[in-house]
Amino acid sequence: MSITFNYFIGFSFIYILMAWAIYLPYRVKDLHFLTVATMAVTAYFSGVAAVNWGWPFYLVLISGILLGALISYIISFVIGDVPTFTVVIVGITFIFITKTVIENTDYLGGTMGFFAIPAVDNILLIMTGITLVISYFLYMIDNSQLGRAASVIFADKKMAYSLGIKPKRIGRLFQTISGGIAGSAGVLYAYFTGSLFPDFFSFHLVGTLMTIVFIGGYSTMWGIIFSALILGGVPILLPSAVSSWKNLIYGVLLVSVILIKPDGLITKKFLWKIKNKIKGM
Amino acid sequence: MEIVLAQIVNGFSLGSIYVLLVTGFNLMLLVARIIQFAYPQFVVLSMYASWAVLESTNNIFLAALAAIISSIILNLLSEPIFRRINNRENVDINASFVASMGLSMIIVEIMSHSINNGFPVSFPDYWGGKNLFSFGYINLGRGEFYALTGGIILVAIFFYLLYHTHYGRVFRAIAESRKTAKQVGLAVLKSSILSYLVAGILGGIIAILFSMLLGSASPWLGESVALKVLAVSITAGLGNLKGGLYVGLSLGILESLAVGFLAGSWANVIAFVLMLIVVLTKPEGLFGAAIE
Repeated sequence: MSITFNYFIGFSFIYILMAWAIYLPYRVKDLHFLTVATMAVTAYFSGVAAVNWGWPFYLVLISGILLGALISYIISFVIGDVPTFTVVIVGITFIFITKTVIENTDYLGGTMGFFAIPAVDNILLIMTGITLVISYFLYMIDNSQLGRAASVIFADKKMAYSLGIKPKRIGRLFQTISGGIAGSAGVLYAYFTGSLFPDFFSFHLVGTLMTIVFIGGYSTMWGIIFSALILGGVPILLPSAVSSWKNLIYGVLLVSVILIKPDGLITKKFLWKIKNKIKGM
Repeated sequence: MEIVLAQIVNGFSLGSIYVLLVTGFNLMLLVARIIQFAYPQFVVLSMYASWAVLESTNNIFLAALAAIISSIILNLLSEPIFRRINNRENVDINASFVASMGLSMIIVEIMSHSINNGFPVSFPDYWGGKNLFSFGYINLGRGEFYALTGGIILVAIFFYLLYHTHYGRVFRAIAESRKTAKQVGLAVLKSSILSYLVAGILGGIIAILFSMLLGSASPWLGESVALKVLAVSITAGLGNLKGGLYVGLSLGILESLAVGFLAGSWANVIAFVLMLIVVLTKPEGLFGAAIE
């Protein structure tokens, strides 16, 4: 496989994981941008653990997932059931703070970046495995009582309370799981690229992930795979003269989808139709 | 002590700009029911418009006019997008936020690719760079003076219009309850469009004052300002106009004081950390949210 194609596959996996980390809390209408800060923390944690402390990959991976989940769990005590835009601003603030701390910490390489994270054999295979495990986990959540309760919260929070559903508890659970997913994405990103730069973990990444989630469709987890491949992966294959305009294309697509197909391209209804067609064949 | 005083003076100027931006942002939130995240980007693009006119004509009146007209056009052009979102059966305010994020991405990309080869633009000295008053460490530039006085005057006019005129009362009634406003026969759609016009005029004047204060503009300026405006609005209480006034001014002063004593990037962090503490302890904002 060529290096470019490797990057296409690797980044697609990272975008899929990160978009799922945003998708899950959005099941209860939380725009949980804290995931980007969590990804940054776990990516740098991986770098330090691998380079400075000499930890083996799997130990770093498990620790990264736990660290991501722990960060989100702690913050979720406060933002488990607050208005959507409070969650948004908490996430953005954490991104800003994390980025500034990294930029001003020499131990983490500052603005120059953190390098020489050792390569791991079969990293793409490991990424595939982790993505499959997480997809199964999300599928189980989506098709469980928990997933149905989340759909009620999304549609009508007051109704959810009336039905005895606990939005705060579900919100906190989803935020914690989302932190774990972002943690895994951070570790994989660090090992896959071998170097880290604070600029990657900025508001631009939030924009890209939002585009992936909203264009793919936020009502099911499957649309994200399709949109992450197209919007996250394909720009890597394009010449730089074209890919440098990707944010403009993202912006136009985002506005168009919100206007024309606000639920995204792949919705639950769309999947049911396909399912019925296949059954009817 | 003189340094502290100097930074407080700077802080008032910067705070006035934040207050104006938050006021425009809150106006659209209350009347048009949108989270207009791209509003500060419109302001920055209007700063670019005035820079372009200054570069080609050296005429400050034409440059100021260009800023106001471009801001009005940008705001009015965005109106049909948000109206379509708000006309849906189940109005979702998140959708307006996502759409405005898309608009914001488009504007940043246009500025960073097509204007001045993506490099930041500098405004000439006669635009706002001259020093008006010096006393020890305290220097009051023309830009700071205009930002401060312009900010105070504009906010005073805005609040007067809002509380003492017919349209101001209509705006507040719609903000209170859109449904009831419709039932009693108030022109909700017309007022909503009018709010874009008012926000556009306000944005144009902010662009003039902000460019005088900073002396430069860059494609990424709007992004950081947009985050601050959103943070101020949420810290004050989403849609709370008076709260936005106090928190916006406090942010300006705090940021300026931090700049005086800390390295550049840490100054912004201090302000964000304090706002974070407020938001985490009082999620509905210091002064209470005006909308749910």
